[in-house]
Amino acid sequence: MDVSLESVRVERDSRVLLDVPSLLLRGGRTVAVLGPNGSGKTTLLRVIAGLDRPRVGRVLIGGLPVNASRVAYVFQEQVFLRRSVRDNLELGLRLRGLETKERQVRMEEASRLLGVTHLMDRRADRLSGGEGRRVSLARALCLRAPLVLLDEPLEGLDRPTYSRLLHELPQLLAAFDATKLLVTHNPGEALRFAQDLVVLVDGKVLASGEKSDVATNPHVREVAEALGYFVVIRDGRRVAIPPGALRPGPGPLDFMMDIDEVIDLVATTEIAGRIGEVHVHVELPTGSEPPARGDRISLHADRFFELK
Amino acid sequence: MTEQFLVIVLRTLIVSGTATAMAVLVGFPLGYGIARRSFRGRTLLLGFINTGMGMPPVVVGLVVWVLLVRSGPFGDLDLIYTRTAMVLAQFVIATPIVVGFTTASLQALPPRLADLLFVLGAGRMRTMWILAREAKLGLAATIMAAFGAIVSEVGASMIVGGNLERSTRVLTTAIVTETSRGEIERALVLGLILLGLTFIVNLALTIIQQRR
Repeated sequence: MDVSLESVRVERDSRVLLDVPSLLLRGGRTVAVLGPNGSGKTTLLRVIAGLDRPRVGRVLIGGLPVNASRVAYVFQEQVFLRRSVRDNLELGLRLRGLETKERQVRMEEASRLLGVTHLMDRRADRLSGGEGRRVSLARALCLRAPLVLLDEPLEGLDRPTYSRLLHELPQLLAAFDATKLLVTHNPGEALRFAQDLVVLVDGKVLASGEKSDVATNPHVREVAEALGYFVVIRDGRRVAIPPGALRPGPGPLDFMMDIDEVIDLVATTEIAGRIGEVHVHVELPTGSEPPARGDRISLHADRFFELK
Repeated sequence: MTEQFLVIVLRTLIVSGTATAMAVLVGFPLGYGIARRSFRGRTLLLGFINTGMGMPPVVVGLVVWVLLVRSGPFGDLDLIYTRTAMVLAQFVIATPIVVGFTTASLQALPPRLADLLFVLGAGRMRTMWILAREAKLGLAATIMAAFGAIVSEVGASMIVGGNLERSTRVLTTAIVTETSRGEIERALVLGLILLGLTFIVNLALTIIQQRR
């Protein structure tokens, strides 16, 4: 189910939160909305869900105006009724008028997929972060809505839970035939989960399209930075370097890096420092002799994109 | 004597119960609206309401008396020294308590709860009902606080009710009367009855509040 925004403008206290002349999110795809904090990502999600109304413009879901019954929403914060997990999962199904048998089938399916079957009789508002996140996902997915909105679904999790859900979430989302719109400020998550990317900065869409197109053609500094690229100036040209593409030693596009810190991560060593005024960090190859703080070393980029 | 006491107890329950019920009917929706909406002057309004929670009953009684007394703007209604006047005065005392506590109880809920109910498909009335259930601890405490405040007040009831033996005497005004007559034993019995009555009402509300 396609989602389209036409001339949408959201303002609060005379501040523009979102200004989207036109945006089409293709149906059945997983779309990641990427951008720094305060860029309007959550506002975009809330407008699509009908939680916020634009001052002007309109949002269409499958060609029709926004209707909560066609949307499932996973909030960034964990929000539950002070009742059991079962009651929390069932509420949305009940509100949508589903019969008992169908409610049971859907709850069983979603709880099994998300691995929360054993939590069904626990108080939802007393779950741990990881458990709560899984229950939130189960609650949204059991609605089987044609549009699923996820606001920073992995935010605030401890490292092991984060790693596990980071691995499992794309498969879980793929199990449901819906358009998935995921908001994140983490480029790694966006690139891992999404087929399409939307880059939002200061309430404006600066890039949108297929993941590979956006990631290999960042155009401007803001998009490159939202993608997590290092943006440096070389010979008067602005270039964006994806993380992992910077390596020690000379090369066709090389830079001098001032080392601020050498971080021993036991298995690897990372160096943090500056190329000019730009802060960068580089993982050193295993076995190489680490430089010392204050050293100036040569780096090269084996992949980069020129910016306007 | 027992029959006399019983009549006063029933009258007290009817007057304060009616005033509490009216305050809840008006105060719950008002508190809900203030908790859920943001509008210009909201903080100032809450400041007034919170001040109203500590309004001296005797002052409320005086204002209601000025309004209802025969020579006053609503004197034609002939309500002064009636139970209706007492209900009105107690309603004025209880309403800010209900509005203030309701607002605070609903504001203590997770801020995204109403949004969650919206996206799950709850309509306006259903959302209000579910939020009220989620805030039942606070809302039950609201009713207890309102009832407790008005069943124990004496100033307003005395001024607008006139403490008429056969029609407007309630437990608090009866205690004042018996004490002034030197009937300390009767005053103490009435005091115990008032405490017992308040306990029973609060116990019933606490059972509802604590039910899972």
